Amino acid sequence: MEFGPLRPEMNPGARRILSAFLVAVVSLGIFFPSAVAGARDVAAELRRERGRLLEMKEREEKTARELTEALRMEKRSKGRVDQLQERLKRQKSLLSRIDRKVSALNDRLERAEKAVRELEAAHGQARTELRRAEVVAFFGQRAGAGDPWHPSDRERERHFMRVYLAADAEGVARITRAREKKEEELTGLERQVAVTEKKRTREKKVGDTLLSRQEAERTRLAGIEREKKRKEKELKSLRAKIARMESVVSRVERQVKERERRARKAAAGKSAAREPAEAPRRFASLSGGLSAPLAGKVVTRFGHQHDTTFDVTIENRGVEIEAPSGASVKSIGQGEVAFAGAVSGFGNVLIVQHGGGLFSVYGRMESFLVKQGEAVKKGMVVGRLPESPSGKSVLYLELRAGGTAIDPTSVIPLDR
Amino acid sequence: MSERPSLWWIDWRLSPGSLVRETIGRFLLFCLLGFGLLSLLLSGGVSRILADRYAITAVLRAEVPSGEGEGLARKAAALPPVRSATYRDPEAAWKEFLRAYPGLDPLRGTGENPLPGYIEIRIRPDRLTVEDVELVASALGAVSQVEQVLAGEDWLPRLLRAGRLASWACWGIFGAFLAGFFLVGRLQERARAVALAGDFAFLAERGISAGRLAFLRAAGAALAGFLLAAVGTAASGGVLFLSLRKFPFLERVVGSPADLLLPRTIASAVLFSIGVAMLCGAASLLGWSSARSGRK
Repeated sequence: MEFGPLRPEMNPGARRILSAFLVAVVSLGIFFPSAVAGARDVAAELRRERGRLLEMKEREEKTARELTEALRMEKRSKGRVDQLQERLKRQKSLLSRIDRKVSALNDRLERAEKAVRELEAAHGQARTELRRAEVVAFFGQRAGAGDPWHPSDRERERHFMRVYLAADAEGVARITRAREKKEEELTGLERQVAVTEKKRTREKKVGDTLLSRQEAERTRLAGIEREKKRKEKELKSLRAKIARMESVVSRVERQVKERERRARKAAAGKSAAREPAEAPRRFASLSGGLSAPLAGKVVTRFGHQHDTTFDVTIENRGVEIEAPSGASVKSIGQGEVAFAGAVSGFGNVLIVQHGGGLFSVYGRMESFLVKQGEAVKKGMVVGRLPESPSGKSVLYLELRAGGTAIDPTSVIPLDR
Repeated sequence: MSERPSLWWIDWRLSPGSLVRETIGRFLLFCLLGFGLLSLLLSGGVSRILADRYAITAVLRAEVPSGEGEGLARKAAALPPVRSATYRDPEAAWKEFLRAYPGLDPLRGTGENPLPGYIEIRIRPDRLTVEDVELVASALGAVSQVEQVLAGEDWLPRLLRAGRLASWACWGIFGAFLAGFFLVGRLQERARAVALAGDFAFLAERGISAGRLAFLRAAGAALAGFLLAAVGTAASGGVLFLSLRKFPFLERVVGSPADLLLPRTIASAVLFSIGVAMLCGAASLLGWSSARSGRK
């Protein structure tokens, strides 16, 4: 019999080790306490190995947690780097746009300056022409004044001279207005260029800041990656050790089973008929039926679940049921308490064996109301959930049949 | 019964030589006076000159097209006091303006013509009065296409007054010539009466009264004067006619040669001849009278 991992965040190796450990405990310490008297040395060895295994498991869990943390940090850091890159990209695009705008403004500025220069030249020329025309008009009228021979012609010429001078004056005024307007436009453009330049400087500074932040983040990411690699290496080494330990435990378990079988054989007398091994049963055929351990809602489902936070797929061997704090936990069926103790990562764990290779595991409990080896009935209160400030606590429930975890919601009516 | 001699043309019989000279002189003078008279009649003094110099200018708006300007000119020409109305487009106005102010041409850097077109209206010489000018000016000013009417409001009255004075001066000179002729003719008549006093005394002794003699002399002088004046005026009219035909520019000062044949011109010439005849007769009587009395 082998127990799978009990915690969603545990890696498969650790889960296997814990399962083996539980099976060994159940097999050696609970099922046949009296039949293994001759194997006390093996039990002692098992206890030692169990201690070492627990220690290694804790180290592995710690390393795994650190690795998970490193991965989370790496992911967060990568996210930040991506975010910074995106912002940098946007910043570059913005700077590019600003540059284009500055370039266009400079072009317009140049054109406006040229236009102002041309208008100034035209204005000067027009004013000169006007002054000369006034001089010509003065002398022309002086020459024509008092000419009684062509009075009407003189009158018309004087009128046309006034029209001419007015047109010239209007031309000068028009050029003056155009120049003033162009100068205003030029001033506006210069102001706009100054504002845009200032904006470009500001955005460039922001871009530089983002770049330096990105650089720092990359440096940090590199550190995280180095740390991650170190942790992975460490974890790999640890898992190899655990595997070796698991091998040892399995071997011990087989020995226990063999001795148990021999003890049963001896107790059966001389008939020497070999008792066939108890065939695995199904939870559905458990006498007395099954009931829910408590009233609550399933918050973590059985099987492979994808964690979007860390982008990993976790295999859950059981379910988590959310219930009010301090709620009573009842046995799902009749059986016998095979284990009641603390398991790292699961708090207080109670294992009830229902016979035929059927086990129910209750984790994250505050206290037990039964003792190891005590018979329990369906619906009997076996423990309580811890108190929580939020008023909610979670019960871990795992069902195993023939060493395989099955979905509790498939055999017990649970509120999903 | 003895035949009584005719007293008509007695002077011709008694002193033909001096009378031929006088007649030639008078004919030339009458030609001159006839020429002056006809010129004055045709020109109206200086009215024609003034009318030729004076023009009303209707300055059109800049946006008025040429066709519309020409139409307006035709309408203006139909006004009674108007002798002619000519439309000048902006281009013509600009060229005319540049002729008046030649220094402006290179100054116009833009090359645009700022001047509008205009209509030049000339008044008939006989209608060149302030009232008629105002009539035309107000008629033009009421047209929306006309921006301004230049009618010389500030100097036209002075010009017309000067024209009147000039005309009076011309007629005065003409009258002075006539008066001069009268005085000279009287002196000539007196001198001839004195020179022929013996002959006249001889005739008186034969029963011819002095009064009858004086009357017949005066009648002969008047008739001769009339004929001389008529012929002289006709001759000067012919010369004037030929001159005007040959030199058309004189028409702007004097007038059209066709006006010579107008009834009023002919009537004036006839009246002039009659007047001259009367002057001749009067000069003869006065000369006779002064010769008889011994006065000068």
